[in-house]
Amino acid sequence: MAALTRPATGGSGEVGGAAGPRASGGLVTVLTNRWLQALAAIAVLVIGYLVFRSLGSPAWAGPFPTGIGDRFMAWLDGVYAWIVANRNDSPLFLYGFNYVSVGLGSAVVLINRVLDLLTWAGVTAIGVLGAWRVAGWRVALLVLVTFAVFALTGLWNESMTTLALIITSVLIALVFGIPLGILAGRSEVFYRGIRPVLDFMQIMPAFAYLLPFVLLFGIGNPAAAVVTAVYAIPPAVRITALGIREVPKGAVEATTSLGSTPWQVLTKVQLPMAKRTILLGVNQTIMLAVSMVVIASVIGAGGLGDAIYQALSKVNVGEAFQAGLAIVMLAIAMDRVTGAVGHGAHTPNIAPRFQLPVLGAGLIAVIVVVTVARAMGARGWPRELSVDLSAPVNAFYDAVQAAIGAFTATLSEWTLTWVLSPLSELLTGSPWWLVVIVATALGWIFSGWRAALVSGASFVVIGLLGVWVNAMDTLSQVLVASLVTVALGVVVGVLMSRSDVFATILRPILDAMQTLPPFVYLIPAVALFTIGRVPALVAAVIFALPPVIRLVNDGIRGVPAPTKEAALSQGSTRWQLLSKVELPMARGSLLLAVNQGIILVLSMVVMGALVGAGSLGFDVVFGLAQNELGLGLASGLAIVCLGLFLDRVTQGRRAPRA
Amino acid sequence: MRKGALVRLLAVGLALVMVSSCAVRTDQIARDPNTVRIALNGWVGYEASAEVLAYILREEMGYEVQLMRVSEQPSWQALDQGVLDVIVENWGHEDLMELYGPEGNGTVVDGGPNGNEGVIGWYVPAYLQEEYPEITTVEGLKEHTDLFRTAETGDRGEFLGGAPGFVTQDQGMINAFDLDLEIVYAGSEASQITEVRRRYANEEPVLFYFYDPQWLQEELDLVRVDFPDYEEGCADDLSSVPCDYPAYELNKIFRAGFVETGDPAYRFLDNWTWTNADQNRVAQMIADEGMDPTDAAEVWVEENPDVWRPWIPEGFEPAG
Repeated sequence: MAALTRPATGGSGEVGGAAGPRASGGLVTVLTNRWLQALAAIAVLVIGYLVFRSLGSPAWAGPFPTGIGDRFMAWLDGVYAWIVANRNDSPLFLYGFNYVSVGLGSAVVLINRVLDLLTWAGVTAIGVLGAWRVAGWRVALLVLVTFAVFALTGLWNESMTTLALIITSVLIALVFGIPLGILAGRSEVFYRGIRPVLDFMQIMPAFAYLLPFVLLFGIGNPAAAVVTAVYAIPPAVRITALGIREVPKGAVEATTSLGSTPWQVLTKVQLPMAKRTILLGVNQTIMLAVSMVVIASVIGAGGLGDAIYQALSKVNVGEAFQAGLAIVMLAIAMDRVTGAVGHGAHTPNIAPRFQLPVLGAGLIAVIVVVTVARAMGARGWPRELSVDLSAPVNAFYDAVQAAIGAFTATLSEWTLTWVLSPLSELLTGSPWWLVVIVATALGWIFSGWRAALVSGASFVVIGLLGVWVNAMDTLSQVLVASLVTVALGVVVGVLMSRSDVFATILRPILDAMQTLPPFVYLIPAVALFTIGRVPALVAAVIFALPPVIRLVNDGIRGVPAPTKEAALSQGSTRWQLLSKVELPMARGSLLLAVNQGIILVLSMVVMGALVGAGSLGFDVVFGLAQNELGLGLASGLAIVCLGLFLDRVTQGRRAPRA
Repeated sequence: MRKGALVRLLAVGLALVMVSSCAVRTDQIARDPNTVRIALNGWVGYEASAEVLAYILREEMGYEVQLMRVSEQPSWQALDQGVLDVIVENWGHEDLMELYGPEGNGTVVDGGPNGNEGVIGWYVPAYLQEEYPEITTVEGLKEHTDLFRTAETGDRGEFLGGAPGFVTQDQGMINAFDLDLEIVYAGSEASQITEVRRRYANEEPVLFYFYDPQWLQEELDLVRVDFPDYEEGCADDLSSVPCDYPAYELNKIFRAGFVETGDPAYRFLDNWTWTNADQNRVAQMIADEGMDPTDAAEVWVEENPDVWRPWIPEGFEPAG
């Protein structure tokens, strides 16, 4: 679910640059002004709510009428019924979707079989040698450790299934994503057209489109591969487009003037020059695919995600953690390997005349290993030789629960009574048109009239979808979670920027937080914070925090040293340095951090429903479990609308994202 | 010159696609021969059945077995699409039978009872009944709904609902019996159990949707609330249900194509029936003692040969 987790390289710097002109004294007054305006808008909402309550809540001022939404859902349910009745004889399926479905399902099975054929020793040999060749011995060692984790946790076969799924879906994502990205890089019109589509794909919760894809492609690996690919395509398109656009105009013009065809310009100039950026896109695609295969386990994809899901159904936190650890290792190893291909550092320097012999030696080594292993009858790692981590983890979990359970439960009750419930009551209980007006006003105040239009429209669409009350309740949860995330993120980010030691300790923890599937920490959150909205809030904060911390840290560290020295030499205290110089200068990164925090919190809405957050998220999950396409899709679309609103408002008047 | 070659290649490719474009059904996905594909629904009792069957199919009969974890409704869809062969523990779902059964798509077949009896109902912990003996009656419950108030539900009592895929008529019962309760959906069985366990440990009141056979019943002392017995048709209108849940005779659902093969694996699954006690024994080893499901199945299989031997079809010789 790491939708917009990592911004494109240079993203923060670029934004910082855009914010440059107003980064000085004027900023404070403008900001205060804006905040005052926003406060006024919110005051209007509160007063409106109170007036409405004192009038005895007349119907004309209540929540959005649901008639249109109900009809929309009924229509979708009709589509669902038609597909179920006709899937086995409609040509649309017999000659269309079923081809794709059978092809993909078979691809996953075949890749899995090849990995099985290579035996654990062979796969490890290929992985380690390959990693050494492209990324140097450090990464090779990391890959070795990763395979060791797969083996020792007794999850070797599951890991290979996951790997097969990732390979299939990343290939699909790249086959479609890179050409689209190239088109978008070369044609402005196409770029403008595809951007909203990509935005939509990234905000739409994956759970909401699981059911439609299951309908079209069938349960299990085929749908899982397609869903994972869909989820992972956007960065491939975006970053490829960015790479092509960043190729200096001069180089393109020079080639064109020498009489090259457009095809030659692309293959000889643009692609080679954009290669590194494109590889970064590949890297992001892989990372998203890793996080998605876990979610795809809900529709029957096998592998590590399934292992986590199974452990959860037994409420066995230790076992879920074990499989989660394997995913984290897989994600980090794949990140480092593909990242190294991108920036080319640490790649062993092999003279050209030795390259072929090295490759040959590697191949021979792999063949020898595979033959020997097969001769000895090895396939997956023998289960007897695994180490059980779940018992100590469970003991630790019980101890933590015993130690702080009472405190956290009280904290949870306090948050519910004093923060979540009143806010939810305000948003769900106010007249719908007043909420629309206030949302529009907020859009205008923070980001200008375009954003105002988008904000207003988003809320009206939510109403038309027929899920107004749930959407407002979800909005209240998202707002609180975002606030907590940003506050914590800024504090930790500042601390991280102050101390190199702290930063070094924190980095692997952030890596793990970002790649650990949320399924793993949902249950501990319930055990500590009691079921309902609070554990969902906690899980969302854990998930959304890492990028916020990273961006804040990057932003502050990016402030030029001479500027800081100048401030210090004029007698600024450390606090003044931070509040007057560093934070304002890192404004671009901070804004991006806020934006990312909110979008990621939003992407956890559905996960939160698994621990009792209810509302839109629950309807999405319910729609999936009870085959109610209408309810699930309408709720998913409403989440997209909330995302559009929050994204536009928090983007401010800065330059649009890449 | 090269362009011409490319066009020709495309034409040949297109022709190949045209020739091979016969109708494709989703059950043509490559799979290992001799593989029995069993749906694995999301509760441990189900898993216990599936794992024991998988173990015997694998170890005693030489089949490959694939267990696919999906929710109840999607697993019917999977049978329809030919991706799975059998659901081993089905609770009701008459509507799905109409849709996919002989009257509908004709892709699934009722495989008859598996011997387990299913009970769904409203449960409270035994310590609560000790303190308020009348709480397990409709009238007593009505009087004491305030006991179940939480920060989440405010002035109303909290009813902890089941997982999203489960059969439910709770709101109808709340309406029909005029109970001052609000349903809080745990969103998943795991989080529901976690919450029940937490309150149980603190001896706090809790009222929740639950069922039997379920391993947690062995771990915690739970009492079922008594409602008027289920009668045919009393749950037809889900907005008002003046009766308890029906008792379920749990059954198996087969993919029609799997039945047609008459394969020994099918005949084995068709022969299989066991009791709630058998299932709970395995389920508890898995969930409570944290055993690997395969190991738990192995223990049960070793302890109870006289139970499972008769399931193996007569005259069956394991391949290899």
